[in-house]
This record gives sequence, C-alpha cells and structure tokens, in this order.
Amino acid sequence: MTIGARIPRVEDARFLRGEGRYVADLAMPFMVEAYVLRSPYPHAIIRSIDASEALKLEGVEAVFTAADVPADLGPIVCRIPTHGDLSPYLQHPLAQDRVRYVGEPIAVIVAKSRAICEDAAELVEIDFDPLPAITSPYRAIEPNAEPIHEAGNLAGDWGFDLGNVEEALKSAAYTVQESFSVQRHTAMPMETRGLLASYDRGRNLLEVHGATKVVHTNRNMLAGMLGMSEQDIRLVEPDVGGSFGARGEFYPEDFLIPFAAKRLCKPVRWIEDRVEHFGAINHSRDSDFVVTVAADENGIITAFDVKLVTDMGGYIRTHGDVVPSHAAACFPGPYKVRNYRINTKTVMTNKTPTGTYRAPGMFEANFARERAIDRLADKMGLERAELRRRNLIPAEMMPWHVGTESVKRPTIFDSGDYPAVFEKALAGYGWDAPFEREENGWLRGRGLCAFVEPSGLGAFEGVRLEVDQRGNVTIFSGSSNQGQGHETVLAQIVSSIIDVPVEKIAVRHGDTGIITFGGGTYASRTAVLCGEALYNASHGIRDKALKTASAKFNIPVEELELREGAVWQAGKNEPLITLGGIARILMPGNPEFLKPPSDKNIPDHDGLVVTSYIRGVPGGTWAFAVHIADVLVDPRTGETKVEKYFVACDVGRQLNPLIVEGQLIGGVAQGLGGTFLEELTYSEDGQLTTGTFADYMMPNVYNMPPVSTLVLEDVKPEGNVLGVKGVGEIGPSGVAAAIGNAIADALKSNTGLNILPFTPERVLSAVPTVTR
Amino acid sequence: MTLHQVSFTVNGKKVSVEVEPRQTLADVLRGQLGLTGTHLGCEHGVCGACTIIVNGEPARGCLMLGVQAEGAEILTVEGASPDEGLSLIQEALREFHGLQCGFCTPGMVMALHHLFSVNTSPTEEEIKEAISGQLCRCTGYQGIVNAAKAVAQRLQAQQ
Amino acid sequence: MKPAPFEYFAPRTLDEALDLLESEGSEARVIAGGQSLVPMLALRLARPEVLIDLNRIPELSRIRQEGSTIHIGAMTRQAHALASSLVFEQLPLLHYGLQNVGHPPTRARGTLGGSLSHADPAAETPAVMLAYKADMVLKSKQGERIIPADEFTLGTFDTAIEPGEILAEIRVQAKPNEGAALVELSRRKGDFAMASAAARVSLAADGTCAEAHLIVGAVAPVPLRFDAVTDALKGQKFSEAVVREALELMDLELFEFDNEDISLEYRRKIGPVMAERALLQAFKRAEGMQK
Ligand SMILES: Cc1cc2nc3c(=O)[nH]c(=O)nc-3n(C[C@@H](O)[C@H](O)[C@H](O)COP(=O)(O)OP(=O)(O)OC[C@H]3O[C@@H](n4cnc5c(N)ncnc54)[C@H](O)[C@@H]3O)c2cc1C
Ligand code: FES
Ligand code: FES
Repeated sequence: MTIGARIPRVEDARFLRGEGRYVADLAMPFMVEAYVLRSPYPHAIIRSIDASEALKLEGVEAVFTAADVPADLGPIVCRIPTHGDLSPYLQHPLAQDRVRYVGEPIAVIVAKSRAICEDAAELVEIDFDPLPAITSPYRAIEPNAEPIHEAGNLAGDWGFDLGNVEEALKSAAYTVQESFSVQRHTAMPMETRGLLASYDRGRNLLEVHGATKVVHTNRNMLAGMLGMSEQDIRLVEPDVGGSFGARGEFYPEDFLIPFAAKRLCKPVRWIEDRVEHFGAINHSRDSDFVVTVAADENGIITAFDVKLVTDMGGYIRTHGDVVPSHAAACFPGPYKVRNYRINTKTVMTNKTPTGTYRAPGMFEANFARERAIDRLADKMGLERAELRRRNLIPAEMMPWHVGTESVKRPTIFDSGDYPAVFEKALAGYGWDAPFEREENGWLRGRGLCAFVEPSGLGAFEGVRLEVDQRGNVTIFSGSSNQGQGHETVLAQIVSSIIDVPVEKIAVRHGDTGIITFGGGTYASRTAVLCGEALYNASHGIRDKALKTASAKFNIPVEELELREGAVWQAGKNEPLITLGGIARILMPGNPEFLKPPSDKNIPDHDGLVVTSYIRGVPGGTWAFAVHIADVLVDPRTGETKVEKYFVACDVGRQLNPLIVEGQLIGGVAQGLGGTFLEELTYSEDGQLTTGTFADYMMPNVYNMPPVSTLVLEDVKPEGNVLGVKGVGEIGPSGVAAAIGNAIADALKSNTGLNILPFTPERVLSAVPTVTR
Repeated sequence: MTLHQVSFTVNGKKVSVEVEPRQTLADVLRGQLGLTGTHLGCEHGVCGACTIIVNGEPARGCLMLGVQAEGAEILTVEGASPDEGLSLIQEALREFHGLQCGFCTPGMVMALHHLFSVNTSPTEEEIKEAISGQLCRCTGYQGIVNAAKAVAQRLQAQQ
Repeated sequence: MKPAPFEYFAPRTLDEALDLLESEGSEARVIAGGQSLVPMLALRLARPEVLIDLNRIPELSRIRQEGSTIHIGAMTRQAHALASSLVFEQLPLLHYGLQNVGHPPTRARGTLGGSLSHADPAAETPAVMLAYKADMVLKSKQGERIIPADEFTLGTFDTAIEPGEILAEIRVQAKPNEGAALVELSRRKGDFAMASAAARVSLAADGTCAEAHLIVGAVAPVPLRFDAVTDALKGQKFSEAVVREALELMDLELFEFDNEDISLEYRRKIGPVMAERALLQAFKRAEGMQK
C-alpha cells in the first residue's frame, strides 16, 4: 500500500534539473510575441485610439483593439452562481469605450519580439477623458459618487439572518463589537501568466498552451467566444509555477491571445511580465468586517452579528463574489451558534478586479471572528482556549448544517470531532505551558485560532486509466497541477490498488486532448474527487484484469489476485499473466477473442482501459484545524518575530504526509505574508503603488519561523471512498488570526491589531503607552 | 541599434551569439541558447529565479546584459545537473520536499550550488543568508533549509 | 519589461571611458554592477541612448592601503569589500554596512561606487561614508575633483557627480581600533531600511568615549549626522542610560520622509532606537578591541 506513504515526489527531478516546461519555455516556428497594452488610467473614457505609428515600426505585425473583435462578442461571463445578478459588471476582453482600472486591456500588439511590442506600445496614441477614480468602497456607495457602471457601484447587498439575533443580543451577558480590515493582496505565484496559441487554418484547429486550473471549462468558454466547436480547440496546461487560486479565471488574455493567433494564422505567445501581472491578475481579500459577538454568563456564544464590505474592483470576473460569499457562509466557524446574521455589500471600485486567493473568504472571516472571540474572552476574564472549548460543535452534532449557503451549495460541516482535535492541538503545542513574558525588553505572547476549512468542492471529476501492452500504466486526469504534487499522489492511489510501483505510473493531466471532461483543480479538490474517481478506475482495472485472466485460464476469479503488476493464482509462485499480457488480450481486434459468429461489437474489447467519472458531494468535506503561535514583540519599534508556529488538523487520511506537510508549511508562509507584509495599495488617484517585488513584499527565508504540524487521521469523511479531506488551504487560513491574537497577548492590548497587515508601525501603535 | 557578437562559455561549452545590447543575459540564455532552466520571475532583480553563476559568483541573470557575458564562464542549472539523475543538492531538495511548483527551484539550486562550492559546512545562518535573495512562494523555505543542512552533513560525512 | 534600445560600449581603461562619456554627451550613462540600473532600464524608467560599461576597467576595482588611507576603487564589488580582511580590520563600519546591502547575488555584482552614485536615501553606503568623512574622487576629461562625503550625496538619487564625470575612487582614513555598527529596521531583511543608524565609537584608555560618530539613514533625502549626540557622549562611560540621555539631543526635525506606509512620526520613533542600538553595539565592539 503506498497510499499514506511518505515518499518524495516523482515530478521533482525535472524541476530540479531545470527541465520543467513552463509556458515561457515553449516556442514554435514563426512564432510572434504579443503584448497587452493596458490602461494607465483608473477611470476614463476612451475617445480614440490611433495605432498607425506603431504599425509602421519594423517588426510589428498587428495591433488589435476593441474595434477588431466581433461586435456581438459579449463580456466574459461569470461561471458560478452569485448572490444576485452581477451581469451588469462583467468585463469585455478589450475595453470598449471606457476603462475602469489601471491595467485594463485596451489593445493587443503583436510583433517579432516582446521588446519591439513594448517599443510599439509607446507609439500608440490614445485619447483619454479621465474621470474621477474611486478607490474606496465607502466612497463608492455614497449617493453622489461617480457611477463606475451604469447599474451603480453597489453590486450586491445580501446576507443571512438565522435564529433570532436581536433577541440574543438583547439578552446577552457580554457583547463585543469590533471592526476588522483585511487588506487587498493576492496569490502572486512566482511564474507570471502566459499563453501560446497556434491556429491551423486548413484544419480549423486551435491549440492553446497556458496555465489554468480548469482546462476544460476554459476551453469551452473559449469555444463559445470564438464560435468554434469545443473539439476543435485543445487547451493544454504545461508546468505551472504556482496558482494559489489566481489561475482559475477566464482572463481577458485567455480570449485575446487565441483570437490573435487565429486572426494572424501564426503562433502567438504572450508572456506577462511581473509589472503587468500586478495590475492584471485577480487581486483578492480586501474585506472589512464589523463583528458583534454575544455570549451568556457561562461563556456560551449566543450570536454573531456581522457586516461585511468587500471591494470587488472594476469588474466582476468569472469567480463572481466567491470571496464574500464564502466568508458570509462560513463566518460562524466551528462554533455551535444558531443566531447568526450578516449583511454583505459587494462594491465596485476603480481597482483591479478581484477573485480567489487560497482560502478565499476564510482567511478573512477567520481573522475577524477569532480576533473578536479573543476580545470576548478578555472581556469575560475567561481563558481564551476555554471560551472556544465551551462553544465547539460536538462530534455528535455532525453533520452540522450552518444554515447558510455559498455558490448555491449548503454549508454543511460533514464530519469531525472538533473538541477532540482541539484538545490534541493544545496538548501538542503545550498551550498551557508557562513561558517567559519578556526577553531583552521584547514581549512574548501566545495566540491561537480554530476554524473549519472546506475542500473537495465541485460537481464531478473524471479519470481514465490505461495499461498498455507492456504493462505501463497511465493516468489521464481532468485535473490540473500547479505544484501540488498530483503526479505523485495520483500515482500512489493507483499503485496501492493495482500494485504497480509509483515510478511506473505516468500521470497526464491538464489537457483537453486526453480526456473528454474534467473538473480541474481548485478548493483542494483533487485528492478528494480525482482520488475517488481514480480509486474506482483502479478497481475497474483490477476487476477487468482478473475477469480476463479468469476467462483465459479458466480459473474462477475468486482464486486470482493482482499483485506486482501481474495476475496470480493463489498459492502459486509464478504469475499467470502480466497486466501487459492482459492489455494485449483486450486490444480491440485481437483475433483470440474475435470469435464468430456475431461478436462484431466486442463490448469488452476496449483495452485494459477504464474511465470513471464521479459526482461530488454537494457540500464538499470540511476539515477542522487549529493554529497556535508564539510571537515576540519589540514594544519600542513594533518589530515582531514569530518564534514558532503550529498547525493541527484532522484530514481524515493523508495520501502522502510529506506533501501534506509541505502544503501546510507553504500555506503558513503565505498566511504570514498576508499577515505582516503583503499589500496592494492604491494612491488616491487610483494608481497601484505596490507594483513591483521591491514594494510588494513576500516572505523570504528570514520571515519564516519554524513550523510544526500535527496531522490527525481521526475521523474519515463518509462522502469519499478514500476518506480524505483537502489540506491546501488549512495552512494560510488561520495565520492572521493566530498571530493577531498572539501579538495582542504579548502587548496585553487589542487596539490597532484589527487592521492587516501588521506593519511595525501598526503594531507599535497598539503598544499601550505605559509599556512604551 | 548595433548587434554584438558575444562569445562565452556556458556549462563548459563555448558559444557565440549575436545579441542586441538591450537583451538581458537571462533572455539570451533562454531565448537564443535554449537554456530555459533559468527562469524569470520578475525581471527586476528581486525574486532570484534567474540566479546563475558567472565566473564563480552568483548573479542575477536578469540584471546582466548579454553583451556583458563576453569571455565569461557561466554555469546554469542545466550545467549543475549530472548527466543522469540528481546532484547531491538536488537529491536533498527532493528528499526534504524543498520544492513544489519548481519555478524558483533552478535559482535555489544555483544559490546553494554556489554556497557549497565555497563552504562545505555552512551553518543554518549561512544557509539562510545564501538563499535570502531567493523567493519561493510555495514551500515556506523549511524544506529547502532542511535539505541544505542535510547536504552539509553529508559532505562532512564524506570527508 | 524590456529596455528601450541603446548602444553599448565596454572601454578597457578609465581614459577610454571618460573619452566616451564626453563624446556621447548627456544621453550616455555608465553601468557598474547594474543592480539598480538594469531594473530601471527594464522598467524603462531610465532610457539612456548609450551605455558605458565600467566592468572591464581593472584599475577601478582595487582596494589598497597607502599609509593611513584606504583607496577603494569605485568598481569594487560589494561582496569583495565585505569579504576583504583589510576592510574588516581597517573600516569595520563599511563591513557591517555591507552586510545589510541586498543578498549574495546582488552583492556579487553590485559595486560600492554604484551604490554611492545611485544615492538611494535608504542605502547603507552613503551613511557609512558620511560616518567616515570619506572623500569621493571624481574623474572627467577635465581632471579630478575630490568631494567630501557630506557634499557628495545631495538628495534622493542625486549626487555631486557632474555630466562627464565618473566616481573613480573612495578614499577613507583607516580606523582600525574602534568599534562600529550599522543597525537598521526593514520590513524584510535584506531590503531597504525604514530607518538605519551607523555608529563608530573609539574609547580612551580608561574606557570612556574618545570619539564617536552617528549617522541616521533612510529618514531624509540624505543621511543625517548627529554630532550633538556624539559630542555629549565624549568622555562618558557608555551605558544604556547615558546613550539614551545623549539621544535626547537628536534633532528629530531633520527627519523628513513621510509616506503613507511609513509615517514621519514612526520614523521619529524608531530612528533614535536604531541609533541607540548602533551606539551600544559599536561601544561593545570597541570594548572588545581594548581587551
Ligand atoms: C534585490 C535587491 C536588493 C537590494 N537591497 C539593497 C539594500 O538593502 N541596500 C542598498 O543600499 N542597496 C540595495 N540594492 C541595490 C544595490 O544592490 C546596488 O548595488 C546599488 O544600488 C547600485 O550599485 P551598482 O554597482 O549595481 O550600480 P548600477 O546599477 O550599475 O548603477 C547605479 C547608478 O549609478 C551610476 N553609477 C554607477 N557607478 C558609477 C560610477 N562609478 N560613477 C558614476 N556613476 C555611476 C549608474 O549610471 C546608475 O545611474 C538592492 C538591489 C537588489 C536588486
Ligand atoms: S527574474 Fe531575475 S531576480 Fe527575478
Ligand atoms: S517551489 Fe514554487 S516558487 Fe518555490
């Protein structure tokens, strides 16, 4: 059994040797380069565009503007259910007559080289009529604010009202009200985006290489927009330098580059540069909360009353309002609170559109809720873990229906023993162990947070498993991979069932040419959904192999077993036949089985191949997790040093502990970035002021504390055969909350620690004057 | 704009290419010599994905011009890899899960390659300093530092 | 992010470089380590028509001692100076300063002269040179000018270097027997500072302060010298209380930078803390020298 084995990844060798093939590493004969000319204005009317000088430049092939795309081409649609109708806010691939954020595509320049494209871009004359820019959602919804879209700037105003919040607030022994702000920041994978599209006009075939979490979905959208058959487009995902939620969209370029290739009948490559990326990739988070939490005299939380405002940016993209939607659906977290009310406002501003970033909505909600709960504990004089302990959903109340929904799926915490995991986490860290409060003038604090994280969302997933005549096994998966280790984990699942070593199992994924349907990769779904489909397919292969051997050798199936890549008769020490041999027998047209008279349609002669599609569980599967950290704070400068960081979670079952741990630690690093460093800031006139890696700071090795993990496999979800829960988002999801609580504990103060990121200046402002 | 004929050694082989002065060395290596293992994560010197070794010193491939390579000895990740399999550093990175998406990996390999070429028994602090200019968005660095510590131990054991 | 086109020359001698600089006029720019210039080229924030590469001029990258003067060629790599035992022994503050400049790959290419010429207000080297009262040797076709450090850095990205001139050498008086420290606060180690402090301390035989220098960087367009503070320390035995008292004399009005993410008020709070740390650390090191 290799499921659960801690084995190094099979895909690593090519990356380590520099043999990974990312989109910028691909080239084609006669290929030309594209450049997207973007708006320098946050809000303006485009009066005219004159590209004549640019077209005269040697090496320039074409300049496409909105006038060149078909007049009936609509905007890029939103592909998931949203709260209310967001269609008035969708983005066209190229700005039509108005731009709404700095970075909005206005034209595509195609030339012999990227450098010439950039030279040409300087020659395109655009006559803009600047309009006032709105960078604050609060300003945007003031009555006299300039409308960014005709439908107004308030895109959504919705919420939930469960139980009786008013009553609970009235009768509460304690209430705490706090405002929280989670800054705009985003995934920022190390590889920028890029596409290489080529068009074979004679055959009407379009081939597109480029990263996306969902190749099939994007291919289908592209087919619709280009008026092509889905089967005439092949979308292939090469190696991908990270995604973290930001690569799932259908971005404007996903249309523009194939469109240019088709128009020019030449391979066109677009490799985004980092500065472009800052304005073009979805931003995320950017949410403010006002939280009221109420409790009775026994420390039982009786209500959450929440107001949420999310800045959506200039347009609604394909992920709609997922961030506020998840935040609103999951706000109550792991606590048995029945009185819950939230009002959510999603607001348009003149900033880059937003979408998902790892743990979308959850990082935000966990921060606000868990900080508020610490305040409540302080107010009650109750130990912080104890307050949580009294309120966790007990195991016997599983599955827990929160009563909310997100993207039209009910929020159901399917399984888990939260109190048990909570106690193990506290014990594992030594939460109660005393510690020095001061060291060389620095103050030490400890903080924790608890949360529930969804995974395995999505309607379906599919795989095809093939064994060739030589016994080589190939998995064709509809998922995609941006560094999560699917090539290893998927092979492990198959290996454990058909007993072929992992190294002999190839994984092909992210290619619409290899499997008809695929769901893709998001919300930590691959292990859950793809894993189950693969489990079924592997069993299918096994059954097929045994049945075929049984027929060939006339031995009852019950006496046969599959191991070491061959079929054996029980008790014999020679195999009967290898899997390759079985595959040979099952090859269509094999005369051995082409028995007359009428077996033309040989139903079993479709190779040693099994395709399996499985349906997802509507609510996905939810993992409970606890984060704990010790932090030192310098009360004179606001500097902080995270001394140690701890993550505990119950994931049902680990497919590969090495990869699980890697996901958790890497996730914590991203969480720390969002907690201390990263921020996409805009000047009042709508310019992005953190547009390079020199000012958008991501953690480097010095920013990382030692991270330890406690991964439990206590309660297996029943919704999938493998009993797994996704782990991809557990790492970042609780970091801001745990760190904020630890700093507050160190300073014995809470003021000022509600706004992210915790810059030294903000932390210093939270230091009580007496301590300073 | 004048084109320059530039000759240098890369991974032990002499090469001669015609370049525009404005081309960075990384672009020349990738685009003209097909050495796509050297990655570009920012093109402004911060991420370190393009780190290569020039005349024995680590350098940002994106902050050198191709024309400046005249006469230089350059080592890229392709040259730092054995013909088959993995180097000691690469093997350790795999073992300790020091990579996920692999995009920063060639730069990390080169930064560590340089570290171990001048210091076979670095301390944890020295390891951190050596990779302090290399950003990795995936791993949180822990696996990378652990891998480097293991390399140091193994090199010690070999001696 | 590809640079606008330019012509490129790689002179072999300083004279050749100066000839080129004169003949190509104001559209020409020199490139040293390229660690600041190439990003600006890539972003098209700098668009010289001609680039004159100083990397092939050996005479510009020597460090040597003549009597009590250390001559550092402008093209000396930051990594080279950092690893130099001469620098460590004779100019310890430069050593500690360079530890904070970028990362190994940027230091391997980046030069001392480039850093000084670039004059980023948050850069460490201008503060170090101000603390040493170093002399900058500028060369042009017209000859040589020697500019003291306090007249060299004029403002944000602005120095006394005139068109046609190259910073050729930095001359510093050796200071072997003193303690030095450079302490800074940056949001991410290896990045530019929010405030930095450079201190030099030498002690009299009785352990009291004989001489001290204090520079605070990254808080104004040019690094700031605080002689009032160090004068007050003279003749005193160092202690936290003594240093704090002396730092009361720091004129915080001289701090200027006020950004949305790092306010003037905040810099005024951390500047003295950095100064205190630098002074105490330099003192400790000076004490160590005496033992
Ligand atoms: C990731 C990263 C982090 C960094 N962190 C820091 C840091 O913490 N602290 C810090 O101080 N710096 C830092 N830097 C910048 C530093 O590395 C540069 O080395 C320095 O600013 C410029 O030196 P250079 O030799 O590379 O000069 P170049 O980039 O080649 O030139 C810079 C400017 O100076 C001019 N110039 C160069 N040499 C001369 C000369 N001899 N005479 C006249 N003009 C000349 C050039 O024309 C140009 O305008 C960092 C850079 C990077 C990429
Ligand atoms: S690409 Fe060179 S440092 Fe980022
Ligand atoms: S492995 Fe993805 S950036 Fe390092």
